[in-house]
Amino acid sequence: MCTKEEIFKAVSTVKDPEIGFNLVELGLIYDASCDEEGNAVVTMTLSTKACPLHQMIVQWVEEAVMRDVEGVKSVHIDVVWEPQWDITMASDDVREKLRM
Amino acid sequence: MAVSQEFAPPFKLIAPYFILGVIAFVISVLSLFGFNIINLTYQDISVLSWAHLFLLGFVMMVIFGAMAQLIPVVLEVGHFAVELYYVIYPLLFAGMVMMVAGFKFVPALLPYGGSVVLIALLIFIFETFMTIRKVKKFNLVITSVAIANGFLLLGLIFGILMALGFAGVISIDFTSLLRAHVFLVLVGYVGITIMGMSMILLPMFWLSHSYSDKNVTYALWFISIGVIIEVISSIINSQILEYTGYFLTIVALGLYFCQMYVIYKTRVRADKDIYLKSMIFAYVSLIVALVTLTLAIFLHTTSLILAVGWIAFFGYIGFMITGHLYKIVPFLVWYERFSPLVGKEKVPMLADMLPKKSANLQFIFSASGIAVGYFGLLLRDNTIFHIGVYALSIGSIFVLKDLLYMIRFK
Repeated sequence: MCTKEEIFKAVSTVKDPEIGFNLVELGLIYDASCDEEGNAVVTMTLSTKACPLHQMIVQWVEEAVMRDVEGVKSVHIDVVWEPQWDITMASDDVREKLRM
Repeated sequence: MAVSQEFAPPFKLIAPYFILGVIAFVISVLSLFGFNIINLTYQDISVLSWAHLFLLGFVMMVIFGAMAQLIPVVLEVGHFAVELYYVIYPLLFAGMVMMVAGFKFVPALLPYGGSVVLIALLIFIFETFMTIRKVKKFNLVITSVAIANGFLLLGLIFGILMALGFAGVISIDFTSLLRAHVFLVLVGYVGITIMGMSMILLPMFWLSHSYSDKNVTYALWFISIGVIIEVISSIINSQILEYTGYFLTIVALGLYFCQMYVIYKTRVRADKDIYLKSMIFAYVSLIVALVTLTLAIFLHTTSLILAVGWIAFFGYIGFMITGHLYKIVPFLVWYERFSPLVGKEKVPMLADMLPKKSANLQFIFSASGIAVGYFGLLLRDNTIFHIGVYALSIGSIFVLKDLLYMIRFK
């Protein structure tokens, strides 16, 4: 069984090409879990509902978890809009760099 | 939810709209060298010819190309028949050329050019409304798309009547319909489309959150009522209604500016990139245009009316479009060329695809050219005006060069 940290580490390889930061440091990944059979679930959001890369980002997250986390057999991505993302969810480093 | 990617059209479909649009932009700017502004009025044949080159060739062409991409993103449903976009741009371009030539040289060409443009726009409107029919839940932006396309349809009908009148096929009061046509197409379609799309694009690019959209909601209704009143006033020839329409339009655009300021103030990204500079110049131009328009309404001075057109066309609409090209084109090229490589090899970020130095030069030449040209028109000074046109020409050539650079980026 994989851990939440392992899944977050895998997803941190996925970057938003417009903003240039990875999804974890942007605070877009809300939660992750994995059962004993290796079925992983990632709960995430996007910075806007109108994101034209919506499905592609979901696909990248799925591929990253499948590729980088040992023992994972399937990945389900749950895209949610509550709570709505805002910049306070991003890491301090991201916030600082965006404001520069 | 969010089917945008699944229904995204291929870049080869959208690219011709942007390339032809920017070529028309460059030609429209270069053709300004032929204008003598001393005795120019906004109803001159050369102005009408030029306005159709700029609006149909550049503004409509780029907006339609952008809509092929943005409609599924905004409406969250796939296009009804995206293949129709393959026939819209050749028809629009051919019709525009015939109309421009018709105004300038052979009036008999005008109804034919108008008919070809009519077919192109009807296909666009049909496709858009059939796509809107698939939407289950309307929001402010989707409503704005529906209203804008309704006005475009009406504006087309007025335009065709005018083309027939201009060519001597039917007898109509050309000038009374002109105002309705201009308001429907320019304010009703272009204005409301920019209003709606900017509510999606600006917060998306600036990461703006947690703001109220009440200003733009009022703006949308005020501008819609203003356009309807303006159309009625042009038909029944009522001056009270005409001024009421102007007032509502100015108030609406003022409220829209306030909304954009709120989005600007709540933005998270502080990059001083070409997009931010273009947007700031566009919205400052909008305010200058509104102040100049208010003066023009009271003073009825031709130089003020021409200056309103100049700053609204180049400063507001022009920079709004070119600024967005620096965001949309890299995205589309990246999406087509680099997104399949994500996770397999190092791919560029969207910002890496911008010709930053060239884009900044473009901004400097275009912005200074627009400012100088504006004063040239106010002062009715050909020399000052042509200095502005000279700088703007260099800026427009940079836009074309940058567009081709981004499209060819490997």
